[in-house]
Amino acid sequence: MSVSEVKAGPLPHVTTPSGERYEGAIDLSRVREAHPSLYDHRDEITADGNTAAAIATLQMWRCVIFAGFPITPSTKWIEYVAANLASVPGGRRRVKLMEAEHAVADYMVGAAASCRDLIFPTATSSVGLDHMTETTRSLGASGLGNVMIIDVYRATANFPLCIEGDPSDTLAHRDDGFIQICARGKQQIYDTVLQAPCLGMHPEIMTPTMPGYYGIKDSHRNARLIVEADRDIHEFQDRWIFACPLPGLINGDTAFGSCVTSRHFQGFKVAQKRRLDNVLDFLPLIGSDFEKQFGRPGLRFFDEAGWSEDGAADIAVVGMGPDFGTFESLRERYAKQSGLKVAGIAIRLLTPFPRDAVRERLRRAKTVLVVNQAHHTGRGHLTLDVVDALSDLKAPPRVVSVFAGLGGADVAEVTWERMLDHARESVEGKALPPYAFFHEGVAL
Amino acid sequence: MTQLDPLDSIRTSVLEIRGDGKAGGGLVLAFQSLANLFLRDPKTHVQEWPFFSSARRGANIRSFLRVSKAPILAACEVTRPTMVVLMDEGTGRTMDFALGVPPGGTFILNTRRSPEECARHFHLSGRVLTVAGDDIGTKHLKHAIGNVSVYVAMAHAIGGLKADEIVEAFLMTLKKRRIPESIIERNRHALEASIGAISSGVFEESASGDHAATPFGGYGELPVGAQTALRLSQTNRTADFAPSGFRLRFEDPKIACTGCAHCIANCPEGIILFKPDEERGVLVTGVDVNNFCKLCRECIAICPEDLFRQVPLEDIWEEATVS
Repeated sequence: MSVSEVKAGPLPHVTTPSGERYEGAIDLSRVREAHPSLYDHRDEITADGNTAAAIATLQMWRCVIFAGFPITPSTKWIEYVAANLASVPGGRRRVKLMEAEHAVADYMVGAAASCRDLIFPTATSSVGLDHMTETTRSLGASGLGNVMIIDVYRATANFPLCIEGDPSDTLAHRDDGFIQICARGKQQIYDTVLQAPCLGMHPEIMTPTMPGYYGIKDSHRNARLIVEADRDIHEFQDRWIFACPLPGLINGDTAFGSCVTSRHFQGFKVAQKRRLDNVLDFLPLIGSDFEKQFGRPGLRFFDEAGWSEDGAADIAVVGMGPDFGTFESLRERYAKQSGLKVAGIAIRLLTPFPRDAVRERLRRAKTVLVVNQAHHTGRGHLTLDVVDALSDLKAPPRVVSVFAGLGGADVAEVTWERMLDHARESVEGKALPPYAFFHEGVAL
Repeated sequence: MTQLDPLDSIRTSVLEIRGDGKAGGGLVLAFQSLANLFLRDPKTHVQEWPFFSSARRGANIRSFLRVSKAPILAACEVTRPTMVVLMDEGTGRTMDFALGVPPGGTFILNTRRSPEECARHFHLSGRVLTVAGDDIGTKHLKHAIGNVSVYVAMAHAIGGLKADEIVEAFLMTLKKRRIPESIIERNRHALEASIGAISSGVFEESASGDHAATPFGGYGELPVGAQTALRLSQTNRTADFAPSGFRLRFEDPKIACTGCAHCIANCPEGIILFKPDEERGVLVTGVDVNNFCKLCRECIAICPEDLFRQVPLEDIWEEATVS
């Protein structure tokens, strides 16, 4: 809406405990009508992960401003979006190029707080995400579920520089307060970006989202992608995204700028944590609804491979990202050769960690092999979460922790076989070190 | 030796292809185009991705491609390919492009050499295809780039594909990259010329143990400063990072240069040409655009006399150096 189209005189407004809400300042029905449809029917295209993420954001009618920092090597998301918008003559959607990533995050706070019913996406990676940190930590608490930072996983601000995929950036930011969802493969990336705002903007959640995928391994890998018609996407999202009852930030001006007393700060954090925990209730519902509409799996806590009905397994693998696919491709062969029951899960919801669901899935495993792909000073981010999830069991499975693929290193079939052999030693009763490194089929 | 049939691999399991070349040599485009070619069949699954570092043009890079009639789950690198590509003979001097290929595999080389010469030189057993892609690129694209021809050779080696669909899939990839129409037409000519320029033969020149992968022996001592040397090397050209179809031009027919030297100070590549001048201090005389100018536009923005311009490559086609 242009300034000249705003009616003169005071806008009708509603007073809330945290400020005033101006009704009709943004005419959502006009925004929706003005959406330039990208696809008017389901189609199949070739795309890499970055393109899949960009198309998904372009198809949402609630996305009208795309802020970003260009020349991020891991993602051409903003470049793709900009080129697309430039090809639409007279289009009203805008790309906002900023001088640095922290400026992008700051910009999104202002825009998202002003327009709670629109979605504000950006994409970044590694150091870019680190540059946003001062703001992302506040964003996580702000209640601005309409902010979505698409993170292309890379070794976080690190020495030496590495542009390959490694989830240490997203895992280092787990306490920022975002809902973090890992996607693998083009289709999952596209589908996840479409569903993430439904989760983040839910009135019981109101927490920003950080969908992500591995740099290079998924960001640059081309394959077939099914894209849905814009109108079907809108129909789906409109079932889950409701008018936000609050103006601006969730607690007035508390989240940014002002100082509060410890009593209020703690109360604020309790509420933030409870909203985040609500993700565990709503994610399966949104995922199930997505599957019902589009016929593909929607959001889940984790992907599963090779589980028998009784849930028993000699070795249960816990991993994440595209390398889990290599495990899937050799799982059956390895199980046959070793005579063991081998199954696995690839974690999708990183934050909040779905500990109850993970515990129930792994309950009847003899040994759990956790494959960590990010730098960690202890036994690994995933290992700590899995150990915590299993700690409620009277006789928890043994947990074998390994590292592989750091800095995006290849996790070859022989490496998976060697890691499974390692876990097999635990099944046979051998005591193993707290963690081990593997590469090219060799224990380092 | 049984010759492995790529089409049979696609039908019954998965065809795995690996390519070696230099950054900026078009290897990734060739593999992307082949992926697009196969994705025209809705029942075929494809996975294509590159491997490269943060190094500039000239560094070794790899591309991978899997093609199958079944969904592809594996995400690891291709280590036992049945088809390999050598895009740049320089790469072949520093690494074994045929590593892990079983006897009966397919080898595709961008070279003027014959298949016999290559089979003997690289100890290859299987089907060897060669094409002088750089020559075709030079003729039609004014650039010694062999990816167009190598792409055609890959499609030819796999078989079962029509010439027109091979051409159109490549051009479609260029269109997705928003390459100007005139350049796309030149690529069409290069594609058509490549179709009749491929030589092939079946040879058995490898000995037992040739191209066998050696087990990973750990990292050992990490080389200090390895990346630094790579990044600063003057052999790593940056000119191909410039926007497609444009070049920088310096024109000063009236000697308007004031000698402010802002262009010299701001050019990140140090390619502004100048000479001492009594009146001005320095006089800018030109710019060496052939190797390192990536059209960052710093000189265009800073020059108070507007002596630098970005011009379409077509406008200066005749004066452009063939590299």
